[in-house]
This record gives sequence, C-alpha cells and structure tokens, in this order.
Amino acid sequence: MATTSPTVRTGSALPRWARNLALTLLILYIVLLVGPIAGLDAPRIWQSIAAEPKTLVQVALVGLANGSIIAIIALGYTLVYGIIELINFAHADVFMLTAFMSLTVLGAIGVDQKSSSGQIFVGVLVALVVAVLFGALLNASIERLAYRRLRNAPRLAPLISAIGVSFILQNLGLFWGGLRIIFPVMGVNAAAPKTFPQLLPEGILFQDGPIIFRQKDLIIILASVAFMIALRLFVQYTRLGKAMRATAQNRDAAKIMGINVDTVIAFTFLLGGGLAGVAGLLVGLYNGTIVFNMGLTAGLRAFTAAVLGGIGNITGAMLGGFLIGLLAAFSDVYFSSRWTNAWVFAILVVILIFRPLGLLGEAGGEKA
Amino acid sequence: MSPAVRTGISAGLLAVVVVLLFGNLSGVVLGLLAGAGAAILLDSRVEWPNRNAAIVGGATAGAVAGLLILVGQFIHDLFLMPLAGQPVATAPGSTLQAGLIAVVLAALAGAAVGAIVTQAERPRQLGLLGLLVAFVILFPFLDQQIQLGWTPTVISVLIYVVLALGLNIVVGYAGLLDLGYAAFFAIGAYTTGLLLSPQIGINWDHPLSFWLVIWIAAAVAGLFGLILGAPTLPLRGDYLAIVTLGFGEIVPIVFRNLTRVEIKEPFTGTCLIGCDKAINLTGGEAGINPISHPWLPLVGQFRTGQDLPWYFLIVAIIALTIFLISRLRNSRLGRAWTAMREDELAASSMGIDIVRTKLLAFAMGATFSGFGGAFFASYISAIFPGVFDFSVSVIILCMVILGGLGNITGVILGGLIIMMSDRLFLPQLATLVKNILNTSVLPTIADPAMKDFVATSVDPSQFRLLLFGLTLVIMMLVRPEGLIPNVRRRAEFHEAEAGAEATVATEAKAPAK
Amino acid sequence: MSAQVPSIPSNGSVNGNVLLEAKGVTKRFGGLVAVNNVDFTITQGQIASVIGPNGAGKTTFFNMITGIYTPTEGTLTFNGSSIAGLKPNQITAAGIGRTFQNIRLFANMTALENVLVGMHTRLKAGLAPILLQTPAVVHEEVRARERALQLLDYVGLGRRIAPAAARNLSYGDQRRLEVARALATEPKLLLLDEPTAGMNPLETAGMTTFIRRLRDELGLTILLIEHDMLVVMGISDRVSVLDHGTKIAEGTPREVQSSPQVIEAYLGQGGAEEKLAQMKERSHARTA
Repeated sequence: MATTSPTVRTGSALPRWARNLALTLLILYIVLLVGPIAGLDAPRIWQSIAAEPKTLVQVALVGLANGSIIAIIALGYTLVYGIIELINFAHADVFMLTAFMSLTVLGAIGVDQKSSSGQIFVGVLVALVVAVLFGALLNASIERLAYRRLRNAPRLAPLISAIGVSFILQNLGLFWGGLRIIFPVMGVNAAAPKTFPQLLPEGILFQDGPIIFRQKDLIIILASVAFMIALRLFVQYTRLGKAMRATAQNRDAAKIMGINVDTVIAFTFLLGGGLAGVAGLLVGLYNGTIVFNMGLTAGLRAFTAAVLGGIGNITGAMLGGFLIGLLAAFSDVYFSSRWTNAWVFAILVVILIFRPLGLLGEAGGEKA
Repeated sequence: MSPAVRTGISAGLLAVVVVLLFGNLSGVVLGLLAGAGAAILLDSRVEWPNRNAAIVGGATAGAVAGLLILVGQFIHDLFLMPLAGQPVATAPGSTLQAGLIAVVLAALAGAAVGAIVTQAERPRQLGLLGLLVAFVILFPFLDQQIQLGWTPTVISVLIYVVLALGLNIVVGYAGLLDLGYAAFFAIGAYTTGLLLSPQIGINWDHPLSFWLVIWIAAAVAGLFGLILGAPTLPLRGDYLAIVTLGFGEIVPIVFRNLTRVEIKEPFTGTCLIGCDKAINLTGGEAGINPISHPWLPLVGQFRTGQDLPWYFLIVAIIALTIFLISRLRNSRLGRAWTAMREDELAASSMGIDIVRTKLLAFAMGATFSGFGGAFFASYISAIFPGVFDFSVSVIILCMVILGGLGNITGVILGGLIIMMSDRLFLPQLATLVKNILNTSVLPTIADPAMKDFVATSVDPSQFRLLLFGLTLVIMMLVRPEGLIPNVRRRAEFHEAEAGAEATVATEAKAPAK
Repeated sequence: MSAQVPSIPSNGSVNGNVLLEAKGVTKRFGGLVAVNNVDFTITQGQIASVIGPNGAGKTTFFNMITGIYTPTEGTLTFNGSSIAGLKPNQITAAGIGRTFQNIRLFANMTALENVLVGMHTRLKAGLAPILLQTPAVVHEEVRARERALQLLDYVGLGRRIAPAAARNLSYGDQRRLEVARALATEPKLLLLDEPTAGMNPLETAGMTTFIRRLRDELGLTILLIEHDMLVVMGISDRVSVLDHGTKIAEGTPREVQSSPQVIEAYLGQGGAEEKLAQMKERSHARTA
C-alpha cells in the first residue's frame, strides 16, 4: 500500500521555516510599532550613537562589568539545573544574603575608604572567604532541608519549596538589615538599601571623552573571569567535577558506577552557593548599595542569562551573562532605564520561543 | 477524655488565638465558627449510634470550645489589655457576659451540626450548605451589631479567595506552576480602571456599566493568558514557572511606565495613536483614580464605606466562580486536566492534546483573576502598580497549597486562613505586641541599645514573608496534599467501600505499585 | 461476570485488509540504533505479537507506532494514512489504543473517571457548552457514563468498582482497568504492552482468554508485545521476533518456534532445546 497523503495531520500547510520567518517578521514589526513606547526608537538611538559613538564603547564596558556579575549568579542556576533539573529560586536570595554577610564582615573589620590599601586588601579577602563559605553552607543546607526529600516527588513540589525558601531568605535579609544595634553598618531603616564602603580603587585607567575605564571595572571583570575559568577547569578535570558531569548526564548510571549522587548534588549546591558569595561581595563593592529584595531582579536576569546560553551549560551561562549585561547597559542608556527589566524579559520569551535550548545548548535528544 | 471534649479543645484553641487578639465580642463570631467546626471535626472521627447522641456530642464539643473562648476573653480583658496599657473600662461582669454568649452560641452551633450530620446523604449536604449560607449572609449584620469592623477586611480577603480559586485551576487541576498570577489580576483591574474612569476619555457622566466591564476584564485577562501561554506551554513546566515569574515582574513595570503612549507606523511614520498629545494610559505611579462603582436596581449606587452591597457582590462572584469551576471540574475538560497532571504521557496516549489542554487551563485561570481584578478596581475605586507585586502571586500560591491542591473547599479554607492572618490577625498581633512592649517591657530595660533593639526587632508584621515561605516549604515537606485532601474523592471511596467492598478489599492480593 | 458487549463501531472493513503497515522503520538515538529497518504488517482481525529478549527494541517500536517517538527513517501507515510523526493524541484519535507495560493509570482518579478520560477524543463538549451545561453536553455526559460503566462490566470489573480510586485496585484489576480505558478510545487497533507482566499463571490464563474475546467479540485487531512466550504462542496468529533492533523471524507461532535464529537469540545457547521442548509441550496443551 502506498503512503497516501496524511489525513489526520493537523497544522498549517506552510513549511516550518516559512512559518518561523513569518512569525519573526510579525514580532519584529510589532516591536518596531510598539517599541518606541518602551524606548526603542530606532531613529533617535541611531542619531545619538552617530553623534557620540564613544558612548557606545562606554556602554559596552559597563555592560561587561555588570554582565560578569550576572554570569557568576547564572552559573549557580545552571550548575544546579544541570544536575537535578530544578530552578533553584532561592539562589538569588542566597546571593543577596552573601552581600549582607560581606557588608557585615567589612563593618566588623572596620575597613572603609579611608583605610590603607593593605588593610582594604586584607578586609576584602576576609569578606570574600566568609561570604563564599557562608553562601556555600547556606545553599547546601537549603538543599539538605528543603529539596532532598522532594527529589522523587512530583516536579512541582521542589519548585514550590524553592519559592518558599526564597521568601524565607528575603525575610532574613530584611531582619538582618534591621539589626542596627549589632551591625551599625546596616543603617537606620531595615528595608532601605544599605551603603557599601567604596573599597575598590577608583583610579582612571583610560579616558577618552565619555569613555572612562576605572581600575574597579577592570578588577570586577578580571575577578569574575578568573572564577569562571577556575570553575570550568574544576568541572573539566577534577574527579569531583567529572562525577558532577556524569551525574548531570544520567543520575542512575552515575549511581551504578559507584558515584555517591547525594554527595555530588550537595557539592554542586556548595559550589553554586560559593559563587553566589563571590557575586554578593562583588555587587556590593561595584554598585555600592545592596537591598534585601535585590535577589528578584538579579535572579531573573541571571536566569535569563542561563537560558540564553543554554541551561546546564557552563560556558553558555558565562556568555549569556555578558550578553544580558550588555543588553541591560544598552537599554539603560539608549532605551530607557525604566524599561530595562521589560526588555530582559522580552529576550527571555523570545529565546524560549525560537531557541529553547539556548545559544550553546546541544540540539537533539527527544523529549520523552 | 471523650472525643467530643478533645475536638472541642482543638477547635477552641484555634478560636482562642483570635479571641486573645481581638477580645470583646469577637467571641460571638468565633463561638459560632468554633462550635460548628468542632462538631464537623467530631463527626469525621465518630460513628453516631443515633441522632440524639450526635446532637449531644456536637453540643458538648461546641460548649468545650466555647468555654475555652470564655477563658480567652478573661485572659484578654484582665491580663493582656492592662499589660498593653489599655485597661478595659467594662466590669468583669461584661466579660463574663460576652464569654457566656460565646459558650451558648458554640453549643447551639455544635448541636445544629450534630443534628444535620446524622441525616441521609442529601439532606445532610443541603443542611450543611444551609448553615454555611446562613452564616455567610448573617455575618456582616452580626459584625455591624457587635462592632467588630471586620467586614471591609473580609471583603478584600474574599477577593483573594476568587483569585485562589482561579489559580487552583492552573496549579491544582492542571499541575502548572504559575508564579505571575498577580499579573492577570492587574490586567483585569487595569482593564476595569480604564473602562470605568475618565482616563482614556470615556465620558465620566455616563460611564459604562460595571456589569458589562467585569466580563470584558475577565476576557482581556484570559486573552493575555493565551498570549503568554501559547509560546511557553509547549516547553517544559519549569520554563513556565520562570516565564510567569518574569511576566509578573514586568506587568507592573509596564503599567507604571505607560504614561506617554504614542504609536507611529514604523515605515511610513503615520501617527496611529496619541497623535495630538501622548496618551497617559495608566497614570504611572499615581495609578487610575477614581473608578466608578456598580449600580443595581433596589440597591442603587454602590458607595465607598457602605460595605454591605460590596460584601454580597463578592460573595456572589465567589458563588459564581465555584459554580462554573465545578462544572468544568466534572466535565471532559476537567478530567483531561487531572489526567494530564497525573501522567502526561498516558493522558496524551488517551487522546488528550496536551498543549491545548494546558493552554485552556492557563487561560481559564487568568480569566477568573479578571473577575477578581474588576471587583478590586471598582471597590477600591483606585489602582496603583505597586499593589500587584510578586508577593501577591506568592500569597495566592500559598492559599492554594495550604488548603489542598485541586480541592475547592480546601482552597477557600486555605485562602481564608492565609489572608485573614495576613490582613487581620498579624496586624492586630503587631499592634498588641507593640502596645505591650511600650507599656510593660521597654520601661524595664535600662540599656538604651538593648531597648532600641527590642523596640525595632520584635515586630510580628516584619515576618510576613517568612510565614508565607515557611508555609510553602513545610506544606511541601510534610503535607503536600494540603490541609484538606480531596474530600470528594474520599466520599466516593466511602461509597465504594459500602458497595464494592468485596471487590476492592478481597482482591488486594498484589500490592498496587 | 455479566458480559454485555459494548458497541464499538466497526469501520466496516472486511477481515484481511492491511490495517497497519511499517516499512523500513528505523530509530536511532545518537549513535545507537534501537530499531533497524523493520518491516511489519498487521491485517484486520489478527492478533499479532512482537517478541524478543530485553533490549531488542520492542518497546521503541511500540512507541513509534503510538507517536511517543518519531521514526528516524521509514514509513508507518495506519488504515491508509501515514501516522509517522503524529503526536500520541492524534494517533489515538486515528484509532490506535494502547496499554502500558508498567501500568500507567491515573492513580488518584476513580475507575470510572479513568475510562471517561479514554473517551476524550470521542466526546465533543467544548468550553462554552460545558459552562452553560447545554442539553447536548448533559446528554453526552450521561451517555458517556453509561458506556463507561458498560466497559467496566465488560472487562470484568463490574460497575460497583466505578467510584474506587484506581490506585486502590488490585494489580490484576488495574490491568483490566487499563484495557477498559484503552477500549474507551474506540480503537480499531489495540496495542497491549506485556499485558500479563507480573501476573500469576491463573491470572495469565484469564488474560489470554480475555484478549481472544476482545478480538472475537469486538472485532478488534490486536498487537501484543510479550515477554512470556507461552502467552504469545497460545493466542497469536502471527509472531514477529526482534533482536538487537532487527527483525530476525516472522510467521505463525509454530514457524517461529522452530526457527534456529529465534532459539539462539531468545534462549541463548545453553539448554535451548530442552526449554523449547518444554515450551512446545505446554503451548500445545493450551491450544488444544
């Protein structure tokens, strides 16, 4: 019997690429039509870039610095998602708490901008170590207490639990910020943004019109990249790193090969929490203020970065982080800073529609 | 201790928490609730030999609960109030009087429930429903009478109950995690705000009818559900969670910033909207204000401050919502939702189009939030972007999860518990604690730093988020099925035991996996 | 058990028409070839079986027919139309019903609801009519419930089991309920994935008789995947043997049983003859 034309098949007669093209054009048109309301006014942007192209370079520099921090947070999402396929909503709040911890440590040591550079160096180093340890232990305890028992529960359960933890941590941040008696650095109002001491050197490395590249920009970018490379090497070459990759590939097979999956998962959370600690300190140092609910926006951006790069993919998270940082900086300057979060979200939806596996996600492998 | 006394104590203890906060005549309302609650609880644990035993048992349980309330009244009046620096002017006699009223009402409520639960299946259901309806109808009058002043709060709590019922379709029936539900609530509210205010040039002297706009608001919210769900629902469930989270974040931003709307065709440059002057669509941070109220024959114009019509309107909206949802629940679509949640692959193999079915659930959930949003906008008479933030979405999720996913009674109960705690009990507790601190604790602390610490840190209202977070985590770990597991299913199973006991029980040789 | 035969609409075809045809079907997962260039046909009214050792590709083959996987190569034609690449729900709508090897009932729904879910594609009620409870919807729902009860009766569970949650049923009853649910989709072709897995000999015999009844009374065409050779040999009109993703033999049960490749693939080398002799003896006893 010859295969007659399918009668049951539904859907349009257009080939897939044509449908995608039509959809893309339609979305582009809508963006052009409505975009100006949210600051995407192509002629105006073109004019201002033409008038002062150097600003664009400055935007790129700011984007890279912020993007490197987003990338570090994104790594925490991507590591955990890679291993247990859970969006760890609490991750961004761990990051927030580590920022509070950094501030507390710096306050306790008593370094501020007037201290000598040696004191500042030691102070920042101590803060880094404490923040990393704190973030790692906090994240791993969360896994132990709130997620482990739900590993075989319906998928919804750990997600909901993660949301709950996120709220608990936010409240802890709020409470912590109110302990001005114990930590005078926290200032008067619990909910208000906290001021971080300006400890990074502000010296100008390079200046050309609006382009200003300071030492602190360089430090942030270098520090982030160093941590990312270290992580990449760790996962690639160490025994534990290999066990992590094996567990991510196939948990049951890893178990059969004698890998203690519980340990690997706990370790992944430790690692992610530690990275959150790095990001917490860097954000405080670079931006100068922290606030108890900063996890939500940071988390959304970082998660978008992770999805953009291909969730579960370490290099992808870094790439995504830088791209989102650049987009946000560009939007802040050329669109409208009020709409930046909306643009980041728009990117998230667009990636999910057209390339749900992300830029570096491997294609193939059917959803069963 | 007899079961009647035990259930009386459990119900009574819950009621006492509230009485300790509010004192006075709150025991009247709580007495009715605790009495009926104790008797219902008792009924689920005891087989009644005859009706009289049930009435006596119910009355006993109710009376025990009432006695606890009476004790609570005394503690409140004689101990807590003086501690908070507000000695009660009334004599102990009036405390006793209020307490005795609570005992009597609780015992009566318990006896009534006892009389009803021993009826046959149908009159039993009708009777319990009748009691509930009677209480719901009487509540605002009772509240007025004893000057408790809960009605406005209860109205805003009930708005959230509508939202929880809607979200229950998405999370409870279809098993999709929607973390941006407040966005649809906001869309419903802003749609109403735009259509019932002069904001976009609709004549204020002849506003549209609320009764029309509420449907439009629901439809618009549902439409946005479709627009957001269509691209994301074919993906894995986690992505839906994050996309809805993002959507919930963005919608308030959009409403905050749509203050200068002007649309030009991008290629020709022809102006389409806002040509003479950019339109201020949403009023930015200041929001939209005023928004007109509904009008009904006989009742006339609804007014701010006159709560009765609003109360009955929101109760009617809830009744309609329950009615429609239970129709959906027991239909081809409702079964498809549950089947999909239980086993997506098997459901798909039974002919259910997964993406379509998910999309329908998602859009239906959004639609019901539109009803809530429309009522909210008109009731408050003003809307601001700030009231629709992420915590709202999470509170609604808490309500659904606490009561029991997929169970209407559970969701309503969970909703009442969470929102009453958030809107009524927690603020009252905060005030009480603050008063006690100021009058009785702080003067005794000598160290000024310590004094400052206690004054700023001991504040129950600071721990709202913590409570919601803990609710979610603990429920997931300890009782993921919610406080009230699916009652309908339990009832069905009881029925099955009676009929098919032979088949079910004796054939259980191989343990079901 | 009272066996009222529920009316499953016959498509009017005469026995002997090809109902399902697979040509050169191949499925690769990365570098692994799970099913390799398999040809297969089943004609109207047949009971056909696919057997093979663990990992032979039986379930992958099944999953391609039911739309869970898309074949990498080859064509699948059902009732004259191509079904390769359709989604599972579209395939069910086209007339292929199935059960699962490891029972996949909707555990927290009642037995009745499970069967009603199976009728999903055969019911019409849409959103607005449901909300308005139009007479058509009410009528359809009443009829659907009655038919679902008939089906419960037919598979031998009885109506009284209707309100029991599926997870509270015994293992054997769960298997029967899965068949009832599959019948509710009104299939022309019924796919049974190891229907006797985990059953004792008595239950297995009951299931075998039942499968034959499904064909004889309802006119269904049935495709079995089985591990238990005895079941297959007793009831199949035709048996296909898969090994390492390739079809190594096909024919009547007797032909297949005597094929040396099958014996080697299926039973391994040691003691094959002995086991085979045993098996033949028992299957003769059963068919007699």
